[in-house]
Amino acid sequence: MKKTLAIVLMVLCVFSAFAQGAAEGTAKDDQVKVVLLTDATGIDDKSFNAAAWRGILAFYGDEGAGRGTLYENITAQTSDDYVPNLKNAAEADWDLVITTGFTWGDAVTEVAALYPDQKFIIVDVDYLPKTDNLIQYIYEEEQGSYLVGVAAATQAKLDGIANPKFGFVGGVAGATITKFEIGYIEGVKSVFPDAEIVDYYVNNWGDPASAKTAAKSMYDSGVYCIFAAAGGSGLGVINQAKEERLAGKNVWAIGVDSDQYEDGVYAEGKSAVLTSMIKVVENSTLDALTKVKEGTWKGGVVTQNMANEGVGYATTNSELKAEAKAAADAAKADILSGKLVVDKTYAAAKAKGVAPAGLGAIDD
Amino acid sequence: MVKRLEKKKEKVPFVDWFLSSNGATSVAVVILGFLAGVILLLCIGKSPAGLFKAIGQSMFGKAGKNGGWNLRTVGDTLMFSVPYVLCGLSMAFANRVGLFNIGAEGQYTIGMLAAHIVAVCIPAFPGQWLLCILVALLAGSIWGGIVGFLKARYKVSEVVATIMLNYVALYLYPLICLYLLPEATVNKSGRTADLAETSLLAKVLFDGSNFNIGFIFMILAVIVFWFIMEKTRLGFGLRATGFNKDAARCSGINDTGNITLAMAISGAFAGMAGAIILLGSVRYSKILTGQDNYGFMGIAVALVGNSKALGCLLAGYLFGVLKSAYSIMQGMGIPKEVVNIIQGLIVIFISFRSGLGLIRDRRAKVKVRKEADK
Repeated sequence: MKKTLAIVLMVLCVFSAFAQGAAEGTAKDDQVKVVLLTDATGIDDKSFNAAAWRGILAFYGDEGAGRGTLYENITAQTSDDYVPNLKNAAEADWDLVITTGFTWGDAVTEVAALYPDQKFIIVDVDYLPKTDNLIQYIYEEEQGSYLVGVAAATQAKLDGIANPKFGFVGGVAGATITKFEIGYIEGVKSVFPDAEIVDYYVNNWGDPASAKTAAKSMYDSGVYCIFAAAGGSGLGVINQAKEERLAGKNVWAIGVDSDQYEDGVYAEGKSAVLTSMIKVVENSTLDALTKVKEGTWKGGVVTQNMANEGVGYATTNSELKAEAKAAADAAKADILSGKLVVDKTYAAAKAKGVAPAGLGAIDD
Repeated sequence: MVKRLEKKKEKVPFVDWFLSSNGATSVAVVILGFLAGVILLLCIGKSPAGLFKAIGQSMFGKAGKNGGWNLRTVGDTLMFSVPYVLCGLSMAFANRVGLFNIGAEGQYTIGMLAAHIVAVCIPAFPGQWLLCILVALLAGSIWGGIVGFLKARYKVSEVVATIMLNYVALYLYPLICLYLLPEATVNKSGRTADLAETSLLAKVLFDGSNFNIGFIFMILAVIVFWFIMEKTRLGFGLRATGFNKDAARCSGINDTGNITLAMAISGAFAGMAGAIILLGSVRYSKILTGQDNYGFMGIAVALVGNSKALGCLLAGYLFGVLKSAYSIMQGMGIPKEVVNIIQGLIVIFISFRSGLGLIRDRRAKVKVRKEADK
């Protein structure tokens, strides 16, 4: 028994020694320190989290050298990790804690209330309680989605396709992804008022295999273009589009959040990603970091839209025809001038008769 | 003569003791796993101090923002170990009866779903959490019992059946929550209406942590496991079925009934884990969309814990500590992959156990030969 006690004490001593040793390593008090909390996909999702990370890198401008001291990414393995991870981050030495995506909403609400001195931001949410230590960034994605819808539909028209079908693959159904889907549908319908729309929800942000299967059956049923707003799952759609194009079919995928042109490259200078709905998540992380640094922090909701270049569309693919680009740019000008207002909700689009009934989209 | 034998018993060489003790090999395997982790960290030029600091913080709460004691992490760590222990018990229970229950993941999911439905759809009343847990137990045991019945009656491989049911459970969750619950209960993105306040598991001890009464249920489950397995006639019959099904049947044990029952009890453990995670740790009505992997990790827990109650408790705690340290060490610049590698290596090293058995047999043979030569 005494032996056991001695061993336990020894272990404790060793741990405390290590604990003290490591605590001294964190100096550099003048610079802003930030941590990005993500789900299991981390910053390698080539999409949403990657964009948030780019914003952080842009702020420090050191191409990743400060990782581990100035900024870091912490991933959650499961959903019961969210709250403990946030608490760990709040208790560590970070000036700002960044979370991405509405799945973090409840956890952030709980933890932000517990640590009033810790600054938090969350992207994609605007309905949490307003507190001084939390900024909620919300994007008007329907505007960018409208543009890619117009671009894809115009491309189909120029390709001489008589009655094209259009597909949408979403991550987890909810108000956020509904904005993507509705904007896209309204964009498509502005060119083809009777176009048939099919959609599929993976119910997961990190399951490209399921998304790929769904994309295959869509393309097989004659869909011309699929807009994938599904985080990491969206890569499945792009990969399927690559295979279809390699097999000689004229079909396309549309990327999301970042310009996903590179992900769709299947031959020299050829990509299956026609365009991407760009949502500049970088702007939010950059904005928050700047506010922390300059002391202009103010809790509340910040809206990112076309007017402040928070959303847009990509023109990297050279096969995107000039007329399609022109049509999208015309729509952009209309949105900026206020002539065109894109709907955010499925209910509104249904009421207008633009969106068909029976889609997977959900309003809150 | 008797005296000589007793004396000999005391003088068992260390190597022989080590080879014959499952507990000792498990501890050695864990140490080996950590050693490999440390070497790995040194190879990539990171200090292993962070690894141990994170583990120390999650186990003892040493070091917070100001290097002081922070017992919150201790509570969170204990809570993290709950699903591992329960899923480990689930796997272990089936294993002792000679079944390979890969379906703890599905039983966990269906238990969580059942608890979710009870917590959302029924008007709130005091003590609702108890009903939630009981329903989760029942759901888990049905999910496991189906497989047990198919296996016992129609010889359907439990491995295939449980894997398939894992997916059924996973996709059933969003399907039921989004489309089959009453209209009024569907709420914000990725979630249903709030869980009733009365269905949440009360937080106790450890200020600010998630630690709640679910932990007590886990301890109870460990005791129940031990009692059924080691102390009852039922447990004896189950173990006998596990050792040799045909021999058990010949000696009058109802092996088909036992298999169904074993899978049902096994599922109940995992189902309870699901309820405790939802009502104790997550605490809001998130619709599960991906596998939490606790069920699969349960296989590793049962392996390291040698399918014994106490073994699963300790092994589950180890995995809980690693999980808790996972996020803390990432904040200190230690790559998260190290934890996964340590976990993986521990599981691989555990399989050396059967190799050790070979060495043990060989040593015994050599010894016998030596004695004979004398």
